[in-house]
Amino acid sequence: MLTRPDTYFSELGIKSIEKGLADPAVSAFYDSIMSTDANHIQQCLKPFLPQLSLCSDKMPDNAPPPIFYVGKESGQRHLFGEDWASPAKSTSGLRTPDPDLEEASADGYRKALEGTPYYGYARTKIQVNGELYEIAFERLIVAVRPSAHSDLRFCAYLGVIQDLQRTF
Amino acid sequence: MHYEFLKRLENYVPEHVQPVPAAPANLKDAIDAANLTEMWDMILALDYSVSDADELSPEKRDEFINVMSLLLKAFDR
Repeated sequence: MLTRPDTYFSELGIKSIEKGLADPAVSAFYDSIMSTDANHIQQCLKPFLPQLSLCSDKMPDNAPPPIFYVGKESGQRHLFGEDWASPAKSTSGLRTPDPDLEEASADGYRKALEGTPYYGYARTKIQVNGELYEIAFERLIVAVRPSAHSDLRFCAYLGVIQDLQRTF
Repeated sequence: MHYEFLKRLENYVPEHVQPVPAAPANLKDAIDAANLTEMWDMILALDYSVSDADELSPEKRDEFINVMSLLLKAFDR
């Protein structure tokens, strides 16, 4: 029997997208971002916004940056639910509710913030509302500025869930 | 007596009229102070297709304000 680790995070690299190996949604977003000049980044983001999650460029304690925007059709909203994605009252920054997932996914954000878009595959177990799931997904993270000369920077995350199974 | 009844009707507020949320002036001030105005304007334009939060319906405005509260926390240093 094939044995495999419970958690597997791997960077596939942007070359994989360029070779046509990524999900079409990821490819379309990557192509658009890479072919847009910095003055038109907002127009580039607009059609993809429903699928994106946006987070800051701050990684306190090496954790992934807190999220501030979860698109209506984003994988994270689908996975963690409306109450998580749109909290009526927030006392702290929004983070994915599984600490192990947070820790394992930090590297991707760090690489994106270092300047190269991060494209990777992950398979892991996550806890959502007390229930355990095995999830496989690919994700693209890019760090962008809202305009060419802005001091601000944020991360745009596009995740595509490939498989989601409840485990017991 | 009939007149009194009409006067009471004038003061009646139908249940389906929704209260307009109080303007979160302090939130916008905090966003400006944190140098996040560009992000406020970007989300407003891209997701809500307006240039001023006052143009939003009460539901959309609440939603937008929640996103901006998260924005402030996400960039908290």
